[in-house]
Amino acid sequence: MEEFKIGLCPYCGMGCRFYIKTLNGQPIGIEPYPGGVNEGKLCPKGVAAVDFLRHEDRLKKPLKRTENGFVEISWEQAIKEIAEKLLEIREKYGPDALGFFSSARCSNEENYLLQKIARLLGTNNVDHCARLCHASTVVGLAQTVGAAAQSGSYTDIPKAKVLLIWGYNPSETHPVLMRYILRARDNGAKIIVVDPRKTRTVWFADMHLQLKPGTDIALANAMMHVIIEERLYDREFIMNRTKGFEKLIAVVQKYTPEYAEKITGVPAKLIREAAITFATAGRGIVMWAMGLTQHVTGAANVKALADLALICGYVGREGTGLFPMRGQNNVQGACDMAALPNVFPGYQKVTDDEKRKRVAEIWGVEDLPSKPGLTIPEMIDAAAKGELKALYIMGENPIVSDPNTEHVIEALKNLELLVVQDIFLTETAELAHYVLPAAAYAEKEGSFTASERRVQWNFKAIEPPGEAKPDWVILTMLGKALGLPKFDYSDVEDITREITLVAPQYRGITSERLKREVMGVQWPCPSEDHPGTPRLHVERFATPDGKANIIPVEFKPPAEEPDEEYPFILTTFRIVGQYHTLTMSNRSESLKKRWSSPYAQISPEDAKKMGIQDGEMIRIVTRRGSYTCRAAVTEDVPEGVIAVPWHWGANILTNDALDPEAKIPELKVAVCRVEKIGGC
Amino acid sequence: MEKKLFINLGRCIACRACEVACEKEHGISFITVYEFRDIAVPLNCRHCEKAPCIEVCPTKAIYRDEDGAVVIDESKCIGCYMCSAVCPYAIPIVDPIKELAVKCDLCAERRKEGRDPLCAAVCPTDAIIYADLNELMEEKRRRKAERIVEAQRKAVETLAYFG
Ligand code: SF4
Ligand code: SF4
Ligand code: SF4
Repeated sequence: MEEFKIGLCPYCGMGCRFYIKTLNGQPIGIEPYPGGVNEGKLCPKGVAAVDFLRHEDRLKKPLKRTENGFVEISWEQAIKEIAEKLLEIREKYGPDALGFFSSARCSNEENYLLQKIARLLGTNNVDHCARLCHASTVVGLAQTVGAAAQSGSYTDIPKAKVLLIWGYNPSETHPVLMRYILRARDNGAKIIVVDPRKTRTVWFADMHLQLKPGTDIALANAMMHVIIEERLYDREFIMNRTKGFEKLIAVVQKYTPEYAEKITGVPAKLIREAAITFATAGRGIVMWAMGLTQHVTGAANVKALADLALICGYVGREGTGLFPMRGQNNVQGACDMAALPNVFPGYQKVTDDEKRKRVAEIWGVEDLPSKPGLTIPEMIDAAAKGELKALYIMGENPIVSDPNTEHVIEALKNLELLVVQDIFLTETAELAHYVLPAAAYAEKEGSFTASERRVQWNFKAIEPPGEAKPDWVILTMLGKALGLPKFDYSDVEDITREITLVAPQYRGITSERLKREVMGVQWPCPSEDHPGTPRLHVERFATPDGKANIIPVEFKPPAEEPDEEYPFILTTFRIVGQYHTLTMSNRSESLKKRWSSPYAQISPEDAKKMGIQDGEMIRIVTRRGSYTCRAAVTEDVPEGVIAVPWHWGANILTNDALDPEAKIPELKVAVCRVEKIGGC
Repeated sequence: MEKKLFINLGRCIACRACEVACEKEHGISFITVYEFRDIAVPLNCRHCEKAPCIEVCPTKAIYRDEDGAVVIDESKCIGCYMCSAVCPYAIPIVDPIKELAVKCDLCAERRKEGRDPLCAAVCPTDAIIYADLNELMEEKRRRKAERIVEAQRKAVETLAYFG
């Protein structure tokens, strides 16, 4: 029997809906769903979203490592042994020897449970890969506007008169969002793209500011310099709704466009023109992604962009806003659910006694750990040093996604217990002591929060393969085995209900409502009869005094700068047809054959100097490792820059130097040299 | 009212969702996206009004169906590829298994159920749309008119400001 079930795309953070077509309970394809934020439209990954579900590589039974490799064991045995081992390690070394990687690929309920387990075990060592993508955003926006989330909705985009797209290539990372962007352009909006590469998004831009990787602050400050000098800022907005403008004036004073040209490589004239275009448009949106955040100055970069939007008054009104675009389907939700080491669900600081006590009470315990835990890179380091003994990883693949691969492998091998819960045997799972087979998106229920704070229900369409179980079921079993209080959830809705109690922003977002309102609800939603909040900061900012903080920042160079041995700047990017560490997308034949192998973009000038032909094999070497791929000679990158898609393991090259505030690694800038290998 | 498949080159982001969708629907993709500097061209059968493929086919295997789509009747095709040769876009290709000419049929199966061709249904930027030309142009004209009004208002505002 053929059936259509409403699905929620498992790939990026856009939140697209589609129908999952099933035949006798097996997924056979997708069909556009007339509605949802995507209006029925999809990118190639969305079109191929059911391909990996029935792939023969799916994990079907719990696995345990023995001397002779993995052996299958029963669920009861696996959970019992893992629980015992966790408790034993806690007993021996204390709770902070335990670490948990939660997942932006899993539902709110599942993230909620994993961080709850960590906390009830006595540690705040819980984090997820937002650390590698939008940790800078979380820190930068919390300090400036008080809410670490996209301020407006996609529907604001066509209403804007200028779009400043910074370190972000929606044409490949969120193709469906381009729908809104092109609509803005149809309506006469100017599009300014800031990117070291000439991306496909640049095709649609009025201006392209092709800056040198890692020089974002110099550029943003110079734009603000021009806006202040020309008195194009929004005086009233600055006076009524912000603090700190005077300090900004002082800091950006020296960033003349000419000065910034020297640092960024962007012509002063273009900086001036972009600044004027941006400030005079009347309604503007700033969008950014990894190109802005993955730097040692990531948090400062975000503050600079927030400042830029604030002085123009582009926050809290129709057609304006701060748009950090989320790369995974539940980055926003995993942050909201506190898969972060310093907060409880709803961004309640672990150090805030009153809030912590309240959460503890709901969870049925006296108190919870009040010391902020370790972030992902810190947990990796602690494992390498032998301080962290056990790591529980749900739906993440740090060996491919984290910088400096060799270091990550060494750290994971050093653990006494590594548990990986996933849908495939990833590179990381191969190192685990226990591997637990999880259900994929279409095989379970729960809520997911898309980029515009939209919480949507994920309906179940098919059964998981073999003995695979939804992550929330596995975590409930584990919680019980660990003897944690109140872990008797009988269905996922029980957990959703608990979330509405703990996270204030989710109070009115019940499972009943989400199942009824397929379009979902945007948080904050304080009560069940509240319609949700499409736009934040309309009257006041989410700061204690309601005013936004303009926080000036100074330019600091990237952690590594080119020298004789490593003369090139290496940067990374994503491509439209592959996704992150390839775990899902490369198991689709249609995607795999079109986006088949790694390559490195190199400018024609550099290629000529080194005698490299298009398509020839080259080796890229950094201080951390080397990587072989095909050269793609293209004018899309400037001289001196080498750009690689990171999906095929290029993180062996990248730098794990951290932003001091956000603890995000500088994945976007490393210095490298290029060696010719020859042969195609 | 006849719907046609339109391609708007200025909107294609080269995401190839159309290709993947076509492949899912037909087993082979009848649409190909060619990427160049600054622009991409998604190319598929244009279902030409004066279709040379129909004219040249010796067995009359190619015909126009009730919706105006140019389709090949497999049972009549002899695999001579005259259609491919005369097509200005070189669209009909060889089916690797049947060894006959195959091409886009505007998703005949879907149209029967009242659904749009899948490439147009999924294209995120409306670079491909399946629509009625007159309605489409009317919509475009209306939007242009709105823009004129907006510009006019702005001009009046500016005048008032300086006046
Ligand atoms: S789906 Fe649309 S935007 Fe994407 S390649 Fe095809 S025509 Fe272009
Ligand atoms: S196959 Fe070629 S000639 Fe025939 S209708 Fe299509 S585009 Fe026109
Ligand atoms: S290949 Fe088939 S469809 Fe094409 S001209 Fe020959 S007989 Fe006609």
